[in-house]
Amino acid sequence: MKAKHQLAAAAVLLVLALILPAVIDNYWLRVMTTVFMIAIVAQGLNVIVGFAGYHAFGNAAFFGVGAYIAGVSLNAQVPLALAIVLATGGSAVVAGIFGWPLLRLRGHYFAIASVALNMAFVEVILNLGGVTGGAMGLPLPISPMPPDLLYRMIYYMMLGALTVATLVVWHLSGSRLGYALRALRDSESGAEVMGVDTVKAKILAWMISAAMTGCAGGIWAYWLTFIEVGSAFDIGISMRAYIMMLLGGMGTIIGPVVGAFVFEIVATLVWSEFTHIHNLLLGMFLIAVVILVPNGIIHLISRASARLSAARELRRAKA
Amino acid sequence: MLAQTIVNGLLLGGVYGIATIGFSVVWGVMGIINLAHGAYIMVGAYIAFALNQWFGLDPFLAMPFAMVALFVIGYALQAFLLNPVMHTSLLLTLVVTFGIDLFLIDLFVLFFSSDVRAVHTAYSGSSLEIGPVLISWVRLVAAILSVLVAIASYLFLNRTRTGQAILATALDREAARLMGIYPDRAYGLTAGLAAAVAGAAGCLASTIFPISPTLGISFLGAVFVVTVLGGIGSVAGVIIAGFAYALVQAFAATYLGANYQQIVAFSMFLLILIVRPQGLFGKPFYGES
Repeated sequence: MKAKHQLAAAAVLLVLALILPAVIDNYWLRVMTTVFMIAIVAQGLNVIVGFAGYHAFGNAAFFGVGAYIAGVSLNAQVPLALAIVLATGGSAVVAGIFGWPLLRLRGHYFAIASVALNMAFVEVILNLGGVTGGAMGLPLPISPMPPDLLYRMIYYMMLGALTVATLVVWHLSGSRLGYALRALRDSESGAEVMGVDTVKAKILAWMISAAMTGCAGGIWAYWLTFIEVGSAFDIGISMRAYIMMLLGGMGTIIGPVVGAFVFEIVATLVWSEFTHIHNLLLGMFLIAVVILVPNGIIHLISRASARLSAARELRRAKA
Repeated sequence: MLAQTIVNGLLLGGVYGIATIGFSVVWGVMGIINLAHGAYIMVGAYIAFALNQWFGLDPFLAMPFAMVALFVIGYALQAFLLNPVMHTSLLLTLVVTFGIDLFLIDLFVLFFSSDVRAVHTAYSGSSLEIGPVLISWVRLVAAILSVLVAIASYLFLNRTRTGQAILATALDREAARLMGIYPDRAYGLTAGLAAAVAGAAGCLASTIFPISPTLGISFLGAVFVVTVLGGIGSVAGVIIAGFAYALVQAFAATYLGANYQQIVAFSMFLLILIVRPQGLFGKPFYGES
């Protein structure tokens, strides 16, 4: 699918999403807010995995970092908008600091080191206590807004963040940095020879990725009004986002968003019936996705449309 | 106190070692990080538990049964799921093994519930007293058996034709094919062997640790650290690293407190990854992907 087509599809989806809260009930509002949140995380993974080829399995670390920065700031009477900005920027800074040593590792080593980083944050917060609440968890100030209005506002916040994240990915795919990242994904030494500053490009990519993930975490913290390390640094968040990215198509612009939508809706409709074997089905689904659509839905669509237009050409040539 | 700490560490080191061998060899030979490895250990522990519960079989004698069962599981999963995926993308195997892990854990929750179980034997509580140091019989037997299994795996890989074929495939897949080795079959055998050793580790673990479907998750952290410490794909390195890891953990538990065990483990792990990614005893060619 060309970038132009993907953007047109994204615009249609955005308009639908804008009018959606007028027609759905609170349960589906909640489901859709979750879809947007996890789609942001998937889009963040797309930058570091899809573009740069660094499999950051532990990207949930920044979801947690964002959630905790937002939580601590909100408790210190910082206004909401600023708290979210701090969560976004703070996560990027953390990624910059840890990316410098960790992004030297390649392939599996980096994947595992990122998971270790995630687990290390959990231990640090548990032992740190203080303003983070440690093992007790961190309650956030409860908004005085009426719940109906509040949940709609959070819906639009998530939607806005997802739109920005998707625009960033769109811009990235045509930018110098985007080309540098794809070059180093295919061959790191090759990119270096061509004059790409690979270290800088990788770190920038992880910072962008972390900013998106941290922003989603920050809004999530405000939404939940209570966070604890188990749910904020849940490796399941990374894993779900990873499946969504694969399902939609990594390295594409709207693939992760489509993947998030399909995955979450299927999960909500089907798996809510089988809660006791949820993971069993999730495991089977994961394996099926990798074996059946390893390149994602977006590639599937573009292959189908390419075949269609080829058939049309053929018919025209015969006539 | 000091002597007891050292003994505690040494007794657990062997179990950590054989819990890691399979994981390390699979990573070294195929470049696959098997996230389901912890689940294999868990399955082994449940086989020991079930045989003990139903037939009163001693958990140490359950080892051959667990090893055969897990060899079949490991071989089948490699042949039917992982080999096809390896041909498209090596990193996607991580997702597949994560899926297998989720599947197995939930399957065992379904059959055995998530209750915590334990295997009891007549000699469970007794221990050997040497001066001020107490040595639990169970742990002593487990440590000796794990070293024996480790030596057997080492000899298999380095002294038999099949083992040499596996190592040759690890070194150069294409050249191995030219020498008449089928890589897919070598991979299947590697995965089967790795799962079998994990099953043995599970039986030993069932005598020492409480058993639950999430037993493997707590092991997997240690398995990662020991793999990286020992050098990926090196059986001898893994055994030494297993003892080193257990000693460090024992010291951390005694002198810093149990809270710090995890932090010490992570710090060791990240430090070695950054400073010496081929491990303390690893050769650089192993595990390159």
